[in-house]
Amino acid sequence: MSYAENIEQAVSVCKQQTVLMQRCLAQEKLMDALKHTSIMLTELRSPLLTPKQYYELYILIYDSLSILSTYFVDCHTKRHHLADLYELVQYAGNILPRLYLMITVGSAYLQCADSPREEIFKDMIEMCKGVQHPMRGLFLRYYLSQRTKEFFQADSPEAKKTNANFVITNFIEMNKLWVRLQHQGPLREREQRTRERKELKILIGVNLVRLSQIVESDFNMYKDEILPLVLEQVIQCRDVVSQEYLFDVICQVFPDEFHLGTLAELLSTSLKLNPAVPVNKIVLTLVERLNGFIDRQENPGIDEISQKLASLNIGEENSNLFFIFWKFLNQLSEERPDLQLQELAPVVQGILKLKLRWGPDNIRNVNTLLSFMTEKCKEHGKAIPDECDYLFHDLLLAPEFTNSMKFFYNVLTQCAAYQELLSLQNKKLQRHCVNEILDMLVNARWQITSKADLETILKICESLIEADSEKPASSLMLDEDDALGNENWTLSPDHEKLAKLTHLCFNKSVDVHIELLLSCRNWFQRSGRNIKYHSPAIISNFWILIRKCQWKLKREQADSEKYSNTIKQLFKHISRTIDNLYNSSGGGCLDLIYKLNLQTASLADQSQLGDIAYDFFSQAFTTFEESLSDSRTQFQAIVNMAQTLQKTRNLYMESYYETLITRCTLHGSKLLKKQDQCRAVYTCSHLWWATEISLLGEEEGITESFFREGKRVLECLQRSLRVADSVMDNVQSCELMIEILDRCCYYFIHGDETSTNVSVKYINGLVELIKTNIDSLKLERNSMLDDDRTLNNGGDKAYIGIDGCYIHLGATNSVATTFTKPPTSKSTNLESIPIEHFDRTLQYIQDQKEVDSRFKAIVL
Amino acid sequence: MLLLALSDAHIPERAIDLPHKFKKLIGVPNKIQQVVLLGNCTKSHSFLQFVNQISPNVVSVRGEFDNKTLASSKTSREEIPLNTILKQGDFTIGCCNGYTIVPKSDPLSLLTFARQLNVDIVLWGGTHNVEAYTLEGKFFINPGTCTGAFSADWPAAQDSEPGAAEQPRSDAAETTTQQASGEAAQSDGRTTPSAGQTEDPSGAHGPATQPENSDSAAEPNAHPNAGADDFDEGLKNVPSFCLLDIQGSTCTLYIYTYVDDEVKVDKIVYNKG
Repeated sequence: MSYAENIEQAVSVCKQQTVLMQRCLAQEKLMDALKHTSIMLTELRSPLLTPKQYYELYILIYDSLSILSTYFVDCHTKRHHLADLYELVQYAGNILPRLYLMITVGSAYLQCADSPREEIFKDMIEMCKGVQHPMRGLFLRYYLSQRTKEFFQADSPEAKKTNANFVITNFIEMNKLWVRLQHQGPLREREQRTRERKELKILIGVNLVRLSQIVESDFNMYKDEILPLVLEQVIQCRDVVSQEYLFDVICQVFPDEFHLGTLAELLSTSLKLNPAVPVNKIVLTLVERLNGFIDRQENPGIDEISQKLASLNIGEENSNLFFIFWKFLNQLSEERPDLQLQELAPVVQGILKLKLRWGPDNIRNVNTLLSFMTEKCKEHGKAIPDECDYLFHDLLLAPEFTNSMKFFYNVLTQCAAYQELLSLQNKKLQRHCVNEILDMLVNARWQITSKADLETILKICESLIEADSEKPASSLMLDEDDALGNENWTLSPDHEKLAKLTHLCFNKSVDVHIELLLSCRNWFQRSGRNIKYHSPAIISNFWILIRKCQWKLKREQADSEKYSNTIKQLFKHISRTIDNLYNSSGGGCLDLIYKLNLQTASLADQSQLGDIAYDFFSQAFTTFEESLSDSRTQFQAIVNMAQTLQKTRNLYMESYYETLITRCTLHGSKLLKKQDQCRAVYTCSHLWWATEISLLGEEEGITESFFREGKRVLECLQRSLRVADSVMDNVQSCELMIEILDRCCYYFIHGDETSTNVSVKYINGLVELIKTNIDSLKLERNSMLDDDRTLNNGGDKAYIGIDGCYIHLGATNSVATTFTKPPTSKSTNLESIPIEHFDRTLQYIQDQKEVDSRFKAIVL
Repeated sequence: MLLLALSDAHIPERAIDLPHKFKKLIGVPNKIQQVVLLGNCTKSHSFLQFVNQISPNVVSVRGEFDNKTLASSKTSREEIPLNTILKQGDFTIGCCNGYTIVPKSDPLSLLTFARQLNVDIVLWGGTHNVEAYTLEGKFFINPGTCTGAFSADWPAAQDSEPGAAEQPRSDAAETTTQQASGEAAQSDGRTTPSAGQTEDPSGAHGPATQPENSDSAAEPNAHPNAGADDFDEGLKNVPSFCLLDIQGSTCTLYIYTYVDDEVKVDKIVYNKG
């Protein structure tokens, strides 16, 4: 007998022979039917078919044989006895058709009540050994397994055992054949064969499914009689594809509880596998399965589960999951020193995952695992390869950690190994992780209340603070940077996050809170120049504490001494922090230091600590005198000083206030540019004219004790007018005078000549002076108009700002541009700036006449 | 068109970030045409990124803690002006942080500033307290601090009741001005965040409803349960910002405040003329 040349032919032969067979059966010509069947079965001997084609053919043949089988059963004892048929088919010429027929008859016979079951089973499985060709053997045994599956229902334990043994034997043989398939044919087709084998894997796996059906829920049987045999086969076959697949199937087909009970066996088996089998895959499958177990429980309480386990007689040693995995991990690292970090890391992560699912709150175990990983990294010695980055990133920021901020915080603060493991990674990864950690903490506004926690977290952030100091501190370059007088630093997102960390520090106890802030400060100290990013954050927290103490001081009279001491202490801390900033920044942020001193001074004033306020103001002056060099910065600084001083209330002892405001005005009058001098001095006039602070209960017209000296106010105005008059640029000069007129109006509203010394006569004189100057400006403008410029230059407008800069608002732009020097563009009509400003001021005075009769005395 | 005014963020030196609810409200691209930062808003990289994503048109004025310049691109830096002018609809808007205005936040001084720059609306900051009023026909708006940052100005609670006057307001300052200048009769529309109207800016821009002329509405924005434990909350200011909807000669101001984890909105309409 021969076989077809390709699958199409084979299929048509099969179909044809099936029809013939059916016809013979209808005519009750059994022998002829068997002959046709035999011809059909011969097709299965074809060596030309791929596994897929073979499978297709097999399905077709299986259906035909089912028809035959039905006939055998129906006609049993009527026309033939199956025992006789069983003998008869032995005479088929070729072994493969013979065995298929034999199994068909045998399985039909098994359906009869009086059949010798065990003998038939035994005979069939023995005979199958006759086919050793891998693919044919596999399918033959698969056929055996399919034909016999319905006879495995057994009630007695013995029968169950027999059935299980039958399946196991078949399984072992099939697996051997499957493995052998790999080693057939030429070497270069190896990969193709591996692929083909994978297509056939289901044939083998089905045996394990059958086993799980037989064993049902009998854990002891599984543990003692099935699993050891199966695992032994898995180990012995030493085949990668087979081991990986079988382990997976074992995990999938048997119940979760069984795995829990046999974890140790499973894991120790995984150690004995071919080294090429990825251990991490196996462990992860198991972990998924076990975690899935919890998800599948109706009442996922740990108690419920352990009860369930107890009912299955799972030994104590197997119930401590973590311990088993931990033991496994140690064995793994001992027996497989060759294992790469890439493979080990996922295993550790898998165990971690399991751990956190089964005992979510046990930080100690997390630490144990992390320190194991740390050890491994250290053993690794060399730098950890870049391709591991994502593995360690996943491990350090595992979703199991980060899902709950509380838990993550505990991991961060209580696992010493976390920080250590992090510190072993390369700098890039470290910074990346720390950034994510900080983001999480900050977004959750997570309060750090204890010093120990804070220090651990700061240690974790180590990489950020060091990051910049790593760059060679080529002081030359940096100095150059500073020499440019730079108040300009680039924003650094890293340092921004560190600064925000300061705001997370909190404790109800002021003393502890201070301690936390001091820890931060000392730590930030290490960042060298970058301290400028963090110091303001620390200082602002000290400020808040000062205010808190002020409140407490008022509320808790009993502790008033304690709180006033704390307040003084806080001011010292601030002073020290500012000093540090000054020393570390090397002159890079003087303006910042100046402002910090000012604001601290005003807080001290609010705390009725005049001495301290005076010190901070003096400090600000020192900064101003020594180092602020840029003229615009100087002007803004001195005006800001005036604003701050004007709001102070507790500097009156020892004429601190007079000293400070005189000094401030003096500095103002010594500014580099005349226009700055003028503006600073008229602004300083307000220092002799306190206005109410309603929050203090002061009220204009009622409070008597305002610090007011009209004489000095007028002196300032006169002085600034003199400067304005001496300004060469007519536009600027005029503008300044109008600004002074505006000030005069301010004082005029505020009080009579008797108190403000700003008299109607003085104002009238000033208006007159401005008018004269404006007239000459108009002349200038008119003469220039001849240079064919239109008065209405397309709607462009220019103004002079409060700091003397030029603000140019184009007709088409919605946003103005500002210039520090007069714009050179011809379209800008500078002369009209003071002219129009003057008109507006006169209009204002005119309007005031209607509400305030005193204004009527002003001649326009 | 919508103009967003943010001031005194002080990130990272005094605050972590805007309240999440604020971010959700304003963090929608292409809704707001112009953003104005009124000082102390330029030290945070992430905040500036957030602002740039609201609108590409961002104008900044310098607060006392801002650097002198700000990187406008990778290589160039721009000086942050102390004051500047915007033009929207029929309005010109003067912006400054006000840290060089003496006396601080004094309405008459601000009026002088408005006159010098010839603007209809003044946006200023620096006080960390939201306020809005009209004076001499000009509209003065301080959006307060958008993060609730600490302010070193005089605190409200100088008496023994920290809760009662938690939010300092400079109402009296203005009252005084009116007395002093004899303008008491002037009907200046002003409101406070606690007035409790809640209106949606995206809603109908109905006829200009002048808010009630209420000096009495100056109810302090106290936490209802300001006890000893609320010290720490009360130490910071109430986060707030302003949104200006400008249509021709009408400016509708929406004041957003964040109190007790909720966003409150108040509305004031200002007409030019």
